[in-house]
Amino acid sequence: GGGDGDESEDTGSEDSGSEEESDSGSGEGSEEASGDFESDQWRMVTEELQGEVQFVYAQEFAKRIEEKTGGAITVEALEYGALGSETDQAQLLQQGGVELAVMSPGFTGGQVPDGQIFSMHYLFPTDQEQIHQILKDSEALNTDLRKKYEEHSITPLAYWSEGQMAWTSNTAIKSPSDWEGLNVRVQESPLMRESYDAYGATVQSLSWGELYTALDRETVDAQENPIFFIESASFNEVQDYMMISGHNNYVAMTTANTEWYNGLDDNVKAVVDETVKELQDWVFDEQKKQNEAGLQAIKDEGSTEVIEFDEDQIAEFREAIQPVHEYYREEVEGIDPELFDKLKGEIEEVTGE
Amino acid sequence: MLATLLSIMIILLLLNFPMMIPLILAPVVIMLIYNPNLSMDILMKQLMTGIESPVLLCVPLFIFAADIMTAGKTSQRLLDFVGSFVGHIRGGYAVTTAAACTMFGAISGSTQATVVAIGRPMRERLLKMGYKDSQAMALIVNASDVALLIPPSVGMIIYALAAGSVSVGDLFIAGIIPGVIVFLAFAIYNIIHAKVKNIPLGEKASWKERFVHFRKALLPLGFPIIIVGGIYTGIFTPVEASGISVLYAIILEVLIFKTIKWRELPGISLSTGLVTSAVFILVAGGQLFTWVIGFAGIPRMITEAVLGTDPSALFVLLMVSVFFFVGCMFVDPIVVILVLTPIFAPAAEAAGVDLIHLGIIVTFQAALGSATPPFGVDIFTASAVFNKPYLEVIKSTPPYIVMLIAIGLLLVFFPELSLVLIQD
Amino acid sequence: MMRLEEFILSFSIILISIMIVGNVIAREVFNSGAFYFAYEVSKFAIIIATFMGIAYAARKGRHISMSAFYDFAPMKVRKVMMIVINAVTAIVMFVMAYYTYNFVLFEYNTGAITTSLEVPRYLMAVFIPIGFLTAGIQYIRNTIVNFTAKAKDKVYLGIDAVDYNDQREKDLKMEDISI
Ligand code: NA
Ligand code: NA
Repeated sequence: GGGDGDESEDTGSEDSGSEEESDSGSGEGSEEASGDFESDQWRMVTEELQGEVQFVYAQEFAKRIEEKTGGAITVEALEYGALGSETDQAQLLQQGGVELAVMSPGFTGGQVPDGQIFSMHYLFPTDQEQIHQILKDSEALNTDLRKKYEEHSITPLAYWSEGQMAWTSNTAIKSPSDWEGLNVRVQESPLMRESYDAYGATVQSLSWGELYTALDRETVDAQENPIFFIESASFNEVQDYMMISGHNNYVAMTTANTEWYNGLDDNVKAVVDETVKELQDWVFDEQKKQNEAGLQAIKDEGSTEVIEFDEDQIAEFREAIQPVHEYYREEVEGIDPELFDKLKGEIEEVTGE
Repeated sequence: MLATLLSIMIILLLLNFPMMIPLILAPVVIMLIYNPNLSMDILMKQLMTGIESPVLLCVPLFIFAADIMTAGKTSQRLLDFVGSFVGHIRGGYAVTTAAACTMFGAISGSTQATVVAIGRPMRERLLKMGYKDSQAMALIVNASDVALLIPPSVGMIIYALAAGSVSVGDLFIAGIIPGVIVFLAFAIYNIIHAKVKNIPLGEKASWKERFVHFRKALLPLGFPIIIVGGIYTGIFTPVEASGISVLYAIILEVLIFKTIKWRELPGISLSTGLVTSAVFILVAGGQLFTWVIGFAGIPRMITEAVLGTDPSALFVLLMVSVFFFVGCMFVDPIVVILVLTPIFAPAAEAAGVDLIHLGIIVTFQAALGSATPPFGVDIFTASAVFNKPYLEVIKSTPPYIVMLIAIGLLLVFFPELSLVLIQD
Repeated sequence: MMRLEEFILSFSIILISIMIVGNVIAREVFNSGAFYFAYEVSKFAIIIATFMGIAYAARKGRHISMSAFYDFAPMKVRKVMMIVINAVTAIVMFVMAYYTYNFVLFEYNTGAITTSLEVPRYLMAVFIPIGFLTAGIQYIRNTIVNFTAKAKDKVYLGIDAVDYNDQREKDLKMEDISI
């Protein structure tokens, strides 16, 4: 997003002065900070690049923490790439190499199988406001799932959506049967194989670096990603249709290293909690802005027909995927059926079904 | 910190230590000194991260296919066929090598794979023609880098993502003219070089001889057709094409020509494994190095200090050239593009640089950097594949580096060279 | 006959070929995702080849180095350098074996599994310390060989590799890769 340019310059230049101390900053304490906050430097690593949703989230988090602590605590936002893969970043957080991270629940290397709940199709409603509310208020997520992550030194402070996942393809997909015989490239896992199998499609594994060309030459037929990312990676250039299908959302977690978080002074912890809470609404607007801009850019580019599912189509897909919800509950290794049932109940409460 | 890091590395390098030692040792020492509280496990994990990118799989597979074809008759028949057409022309083989590298680079998208697949057979013939080994290798290493400029370029795809709203399709098209310029420069240099050094000429083959060679090369010629055709029709990806080329090499050599027996294949794959290990341990070590400087925030620290406020477009582009060039001398180009692009792109855009133009500069410098000592990854590959001392590989590269730097400046000063094809 | 390390190295390359080709055939001929594990198994194999290959490449003197100054040194100096280089490299290999062994324990304790086959991830990592350990042992052997009688008028880069500087007259074969 171009409007965020100024912020990124600000945080950037402050960080550069403090590189030498890296993560051992808390003991230095040369200047007693203003107010009640001891000066400290934290790092928040993200899975996205500058300008993308997770990164601007981290920048906004940094800005607010700094304001609230009168400049005593600074946070450096780190983009994807320099510190290895997503799983590397998760491990870095677990070991306290960084204090904070924005991560998607799936990248903990199967340590918390329940994180897969977010990748299930048509579990959450399609209404974005309702999803927002569930992610904020769900006890199943914010208490039960949090405990499971905390066993692995990851404390999820908040869950939020980066927007809907969309399907892109070279054939129009309007009902489950349109998937029949298609090869789709998604992050490979047993749950994903089962999900697309329910529509008659086959999951193909393919490296990310080859995906653009593979779509162009129809080596694979389809893929899924958040709308803003589809635009950013130019997949719309090589696909004829984009389905706003409501099948899923790209959920991210704001996380802290558990031991570090529990050891924070109460006033500092309060500031962190408060900031994370405020940012829920802020990031909802931010992702909306980015996804709308992405969608507009895709429409402007003009080579891709955008198909938005109506209620009937969604109902048809929802029906087709039901056996996979059962499969998840009964068959998927290591998941907690009670957590699934509880979340499902909470979702039904919100949607009023 | 950076000074410590670099001094350790350079001293060990000059002392003839295996290159994996500085690449591994420097990051470990830095961690012990500057982050003693942080577990070493995080750093060790990078050894796996560095080599687990699926795109890298085409390196051992193309090496394997080339090993099979070299042990058998395929590459000989192909070379005889090419030779019957260009053998009597001054610099003909060198130009053919440059063209083959450019074309193969275009389909494989990987500079390392090109070094292996084209370099092995072509080097043999260049040596027979009277070229010095260092000359042959310098040509192969540098011509292979054009692969990064010609679609489908993995480097461009990564750049498009890192830069945000940039069209991969436009980048692909924008790379064509720069790629052709590089090829022409190499071709002209080699023709002049052949004249000056008086490289002996082969006999001009008659059309009858050419036809005989063509018939013998018929099945081997299926090789480029299957690979190029398979990729362009989408039957397989470039990485998968490397697997298919192994399959085709086995079909030809084992089943049809019967030059190799099944039981000989493990021996061939053993030598492939040896070369793979020698190269990949450096890729793994390079990832340690990258991780440590990334963790210390060094790339951003330096770039922000250098750019200052309100830089001009020209200044940004020159700085981009320097940073990507130097970065890729040490670290894998993909990582450099991922890390540095998000830092430079906003500044460049603010200064009025077209992001497609920036992408071409970035990809070009990444290509140049990976063929430039001391850590250019293609030099490692050539050194391992040809089993030649490092110095021998780089001895004749200076003219190429000079040509490439000049073309790099040309691309900076004349944005039209990148942009003319995509303007409506 | 192949030694175990040679067999492992050779087999991992063949395994990658089978996986990648199998995946293409499954997708294009049978429109199936049956080789869904292709890239994961290949990743396994490439890690094995890389780390189990260190010792083998050391024995054959095939690790890449910048020999600019070394090549100009007289035989005695080169021999001293090779002894020091091999000994120090052996130490670094053992240190790395220790660190990566700890990393394997870490992976073991997290219980992390792979995404496709859902097998424990430490199984992949376990080859790294084994590779460094065997490499360390090999570099010690490379050091010792330079003290033996057969190294009286030669320098050994690895126990199977005589320094190319001592062979200059003999017109070195271009491809001395043993096939
Ligand atoms: Na399109
Ligand atoms: Na893009």
